[in-house]
Amino acid sequence: MVNVEDLRKEAQRILREGKVKYVIGYEKDQNGLLPKPAFIEEPEDVARLIWNPTCVHNLTKFLVDEKKRKALEKKPDNRPVGIVVKGCDSRAIVVLLQEKYIEREDVHILGMSCERNGVIDEKKLAKKLKGQNAENVEIDEDGNFVVTSANKTIKFQAEELLAERCLECPANYPVIYDLLLGEKAKKKAAEPFKSLGKMESLSEEERWAFWTEQLSKCIRCYACRSACPMCYCDECVVDTINFAVTADTTASEKAGKIKWVEKSPVPSENFVYHMVRAMHLAGRCIDCGECERVCPLDIPLRFLNKKLEKEAKELFGYDAGFDPNKPSLVSSFKDEDPEDFIR
Amino acid sequence: MAEKFEPRIVAFLCKWCSSAGSDLAGVSRMQYPPNVIPITVMCSGSVSPLYIFDAFNKGADGVLVSGCHPGDCHYIKGNYYARRRIALVKELLEFIGLEQKRFRMSWVSAAEGTKYTQIISDFVEDLKPLGPQTKLRRKI
Amino acid sequence: MDKILLKKALHQWVKKLHAYRIYAPSKDGDIWTYEALTGSEGFDPDFRTTALSPKKIIFPQREVYFQFEKKDGDNNSIKETLPEDESAIVLGVRPCDARALTLTDKVFGGDFKDLYYWKRRNQTILVGMACITPPSPNCFCLSVDGSPHSKEGLDILLTDLGEKYYVQSLTKKGDQLLNLAKNLFTQPGAADKRDLQKIQTESEKKIKRQIDNLKKVPPKLKGMWDSPFWDEEAMSCLRCGICTYMCPTCHCFDINDEIHSSAPLKGERIRTWDTCQFPDFTMHSSGHNPRPDKAARLRQRIMHKFQYFLEIHKNYQCTGCGRCVTKCPVSIDIIEVLEKVRDYGS
Repeated sequence: MVNVEDLRKEAQRILREGKVKYVIGYEKDQNGLLPKPAFIEEPEDVARLIWNPTCVHNLTKFLVDEKKRKALEKKPDNRPVGIVVKGCDSRAIVVLLQEKYIEREDVHILGMSCERNGVIDEKKLAKKLKGQNAENVEIDEDGNFVVTSANKTIKFQAEELLAERCLECPANYPVIYDLLLGEKAKKKAAEPFKSLGKMESLSEEERWAFWTEQLSKCIRCYACRSACPMCYCDECVVDTINFAVTADTTASEKAGKIKWVEKSPVPSENFVYHMVRAMHLAGRCIDCGECERVCPLDIPLRFLNKKLEKEAKELFGYDAGFDPNKPSLVSSFKDEDPEDFIR
Repeated sequence: MAEKFEPRIVAFLCKWCSSAGSDLAGVSRMQYPPNVIPITVMCSGSVSPLYIFDAFNKGADGVLVSGCHPGDCHYIKGNYYARRRIALVKELLEFIGLEQKRFRMSWVSAAEGTKYTQIISDFVEDLKPLGPQTKLRRKI
Repeated sequence: MDKILLKKALHQWVKKLHAYRIYAPSKDGDIWTYEALTGSEGFDPDFRTTALSPKKIIFPQREVYFQFEKKDGDNNSIKETLPEDESAIVLGVRPCDARALTLTDKVFGGDFKDLYYWKRRNQTILVGMACITPPSPNCFCLSVDGSPHSKEGLDILLTDLGEKYYVQSLTKKGDQLLNLAKNLFTQPGAADKRDLQKIQTESEKKIKRQIDNLKKVPPKLKGMWDSPFWDEEAMSCLRCGICTYMCPTCHCFDINDEIHSSAPLKGERIRTWDTCQFPDFTMHSSGHNPRPDKAARLRQRIMHKFQYFLEIHKNYQCTGCGRCVTKCPVSIDIIEVLEKVRDYGS
């Protein structure tokens, strides 16, 4: 069992010794079930840090923010940042290291193992509680989820509340860390990519109907892009901002400006945006599930990324986020890569 | 009387092999369907998934990516990267429900004018019964 | 006028409204959104809150301003594309969302009227549903001069009395709708009026969240421009834009030309939603950005809603629907932020 006091002690130590600028972790939100991201700067404040199955966020995005913030500062503080990570989050850090976006010395990783478990899916919990609000969720010694709601506690089997991605997780313990709390216990994963099975067994027309219906809902709020730690491009392909329009810009110049995706949130353009994002994440997405969690219209975005994750594994034997020294999926190749589809 | 449907194919041809192969077909006066819009790229490895999605978005009925045979790439490794990347694009397009026959890749060398004409003829024949591509075509 | 409508007659009344295009909350998976009824379904009044407010019907995500085409010589054509004539009804509008439309009315009205907004606004009738219990655990309408039974912006307000609805028609348009099914509506009795009163008072008590002394916030904000408060609060912001996209009062937009063909040159000028929370919202073509970081953008959102809008239009630009609080991925809570502003420095 992970003891959150061990986490707090270590966080306090590295803050006290000035080893890190601040520690990114999870703290209780008084007005909701899920925690808030916490940025602890003072050693006395480490008591705010919590750890339980509601810690669903991928805090790695804040490492990207930290880098962008430092770039704007004249005299940046170059000390590392401490960060609390789960297994999936640690793999996001590995991908950032692979791509040399951050250096290993920029981050002090406090790894938390999910220990054969994972985090909750808020929607599953809401269904079980039939509209009642929950205040907290903890794990008991047997690995069950204990939910506190309206001053009562209710016990659930973990599988009833676990997020879908946790059910398919390849390694629910951090693969890179400065401190590891909890065992590196590999839980028996259900078949990986099981959730894709149903989708893949649908006919071509059924799949098309499914995706058209889902992507018609998209309002292009780009929350999926904002929540994803791997979407760190300063200029995204959908936001062509580096085109200065002046009084002298001619009509044909404006017409000729390369715009891959129009701003209109219509299905044809939404398809291009989501497919391009999925391709840009091929071999990089570690299935933290944030894109789907933040989508205000409940679009099942994980499927797109999961499909490419599956192909990366099956066609090329590639697992994202395990080895920081491995080249990325699309900037490497093997002689044996399949080419039966090529005429 | 309604005109018979003529599919429009956008073909990304690498300059050093496939595009040269298509030139050879032309110079040798080989007859093949005129439905192709050829776009010469420096290397099949430089074909971004964006180009392919954009071609479908602008109404292409079929998209072909063609490069040098493995081992023959003018830039040594470009076609190996293409092989990986295009495989992923193909899987994604199929996954979202685009007709499988609309997207293909080929290896065509500068000497393979005949092969090029065969690939295009086959492509046009496969596309005719499918009709115009409406799924990813821009509809605003 | 005040009327009573039996619950079981609701469906019949909706049927009589078939000459209008009817939008009503409909369930899609786990969320409710306003969709046009296609005839066979009725209106399911048992919804809590919708993901997007009815703002999207009057101020849609995509609006075409005009179409242009370059022709030979100087015969270029520009054709204005006002919204089509379409009498519409929105059923099940929550009072906070209707109040929000009165606020966007001020923005798109005034000295220069936005023709596209007003065409839609004037041809849409809003039928509200009073909140017996708060639709969201994060509702706080009372704190921002609203109420769960507010009539502002509505043409009709329905209040659920149990077996029947207390129907209050507030405008001529509302009266017209009632007249289409005169036989379904009866006069309210004294008991009904008492029930209405009781339900209204109870519904106000059930609102759990509030901001005390909100009026202390605007003057405080004036002095907080340079404060490090905003850096701390915005630390966890993902600049995802969800708060502004879900907000019923937010109205910022972007205008772009979309080219459909280059020969002949043909296209449309369109307006889409935009958000001050995106980094390039205030990006100048020189490359300078006056709001370069999240702190500046959070400050902008709070000040726009609780200081600038108040000074210009005499209302807070917030109706307490709670969507931004519920949907923020990192639980940035506007109520907490306002309480901290109110208490800042004391």
